[in-house]
Amino acid sequence: MKWLDRLEEIFITFLIAAATLVIFVAVVHRYASGLHLGAVQDWLLTIHMSWAQELCIILFVWMAKFGAAYGVRQGVHVGVDVLVNRLPADKRRIMIFVALGAGVLFTAIVAILGARMVWENGLAYVTLSTLGLDTGDHYEGPTTPDLEWPTWAVYLAVPLGSSLMCFRFIQVLMTFYKTGDLPHHDHGHVDGLDEVEPLEVQVGHKS
Amino acid sequence: MSALVIFGLLTVLMLTGMPISIALGLTVLTFLFTMTSVPIEAVALKLFTGIEKFEIMAIPFFILAGNFLTHGGVAKRMINFASSMVGHWYGGLGLAGVIACALFAAVSGSSPATVVAIGAILLPAMVKAGFPKNFGAGVITTSGALGILIPPSIVMVMYAVATNSSVGALFMAGVIPGLMLAGFLGFTTFYRAKKFDYPRQPKATGAQRFKAFRDSVWGLLLIVVVMGGIYTGIFTPTEAAAMSAVYAFIVAVFVYKDMSLKDVPKVLLNSASMSAMLLYIITNAVMFSFILTNENIPQSLADWMLAQGMGAIVFLLIVNVLLLVAGNFMEPSSIVLIFAPILFPMAMKLGIDPIHFGIIMVVNMEVGMCHPPVGLNLYVASGITKMGITELTIAVWPWLLTMLVFLILVTYVPMISTWLPHMMGLM
Repeated sequence: MKWLDRLEEIFITFLIAAATLVIFVAVVHRYASGLHLGAVQDWLLTIHMSWAQELCIILFVWMAKFGAAYGVRQGVHVGVDVLVNRLPADKRRIMIFVALGAGVLFTAIVAILGARMVWENGLAYVTLSTLGLDTGDHYEGPTTPDLEWPTWAVYLAVPLGSSLMCFRFIQVLMTFYKTGDLPHHDHGHVDGLDEVEPLEVQVGHKS
Repeated sequence: MSALVIFGLLTVLMLTGMPISIALGLTVLTFLFTMTSVPIEAVALKLFTGIEKFEIMAIPFFILAGNFLTHGGVAKRMINFASSMVGHWYGGLGLAGVIACALFAAVSGSSPATVVAIGAILLPAMVKAGFPKNFGAGVITTSGALGILIPPSIVMVMYAVATNSSVGALFMAGVIPGLMLAGFLGFTTFYRAKKFDYPRQPKATGAQRFKAFRDSVWGLLLIVVVMGGIYTGIFTPTEAAAMSAVYAFIVAVFVYKDMSLKDVPKVLLNSASMSAMLLYIITNAVMFSFILTNENIPQSLADWMLAQGMGAIVFLLIVNVLLLVAGNFMEPSSIVLIFAPILFPMAMKLGIDPIHFGIIMVVNMEVGMCHPPVGLNLYVASGITKMGITELTIAVWPWLLTMLVFLILVTYVPMISTWLPHMMGLM
């Protein structure tokens, strides 16, 4: 499963970098095309970046769905653990199974709901017509306003991301069953603290 | 009736310790399957469209910007700057801690990370200079929470999203309360240091001050990029966030050289994962508030409250107590996303200013970070100081009390929050 882990990481890293770049370029373009630069300005004016916002949203929604799955194996998703942590070990173990089970259940339901939505919003039409079959009641489905991409392709993030997340919950559940370990995320982690030289102060100086 | 079922179910699910996002989602699904006629397809669509707003996308950008600058090197520069300015006063290093925390928290966007970064560098120095350990721990734990009040603030974006308020106005509204709270915490620090005659540092020369300022100014300019960009209308808040992320990347890699290019993917990945977690809570919270609105719950609660003849003063008192209690169990983003949609309509009926109400919520979140049993700042502070939670709670109380006094002030004096955005014509 190493390849899947790696792919997931590369994918979400790419998405956040791409979204940042898209908005950066769109903003720079908006101001640069207002400058009097002769031919360069003419060229800039021929480019339209009105789709940047929409693309940024799509990139981030995909990042959110797949990042949430990555977050499960990193233990990023926080819950209310005040009560659970005060239980005796055996009861705590049961509660953790319940909590992880709830994660599996919810993400599985969402994956199914999402898949049905995508299927009925155009995937069915595309699949059936590609295969040369009768498309029946299925229709082509709407497209996004600016980029004019089919919405089913965009919404595919929901079933795919949620399936992966469900799989991650099952993985964490299995690991917990076998070893009793849960992934734990350190919210206060700061890089580079070891490299910093101690602050110089004057000892016990009073005025 | 349905209100009781919804909140009862949510509470039970949350107490099992499952992620808050999952608890919200399961509550919505259970309710949909059993008690209402809302088509389930509407929910599937909400899963995608719930976060399809450009304003929300400021969150990942701000997290990314913050992560680039969440580095020991940046913390050190800010501490140097702060201590060169105020180190020679009573409680100088403590005051420097308050200022460094305020600056670092505003730039990094994370309260726990601020406590760790500033605390790890400043606390050993304070102990060495002759301050008692619990004095330093109290200062850093509480000042670390300043970040969610001083813009750019992710919690404010959450509030803006949940209530359709203006991000720009909220950011501007946070400036004066943020500076005031830093002043209040600083005063408590100064007063106690003077009372117990803690050591002072020699006064820094003008040249030292200038050098410290020049070193730290690159990080601080991030706040200028965001606030200046939004206020002058050069950027929308989300664009400002994206620009600040690019700016932070350039400062971290090419100016400060705290990290090399090969560290960048790791920062991107961590930021993506942190943002995805928040966006996942938002998605499910949007569904949750959709159900609440669909069942008319906030509206009927508001009507009920008016029928009881409850005024703004009593209402705000109840809100503060409720949020402080909630702060015992959950982290700020979840609280804002769950409570804002319920409380906001009531506040509107009582004629409370939406921006002022947002600031009240944010200050409540700050207090919640610093008190037991769940204050995240306490936990990370306990980690770096090797002090127990009980011991830390005692160390923190003078500053916590200061924060509570400040909370009352902000709650009942709307001017503190609304004056600046009014002056700037943002509301």
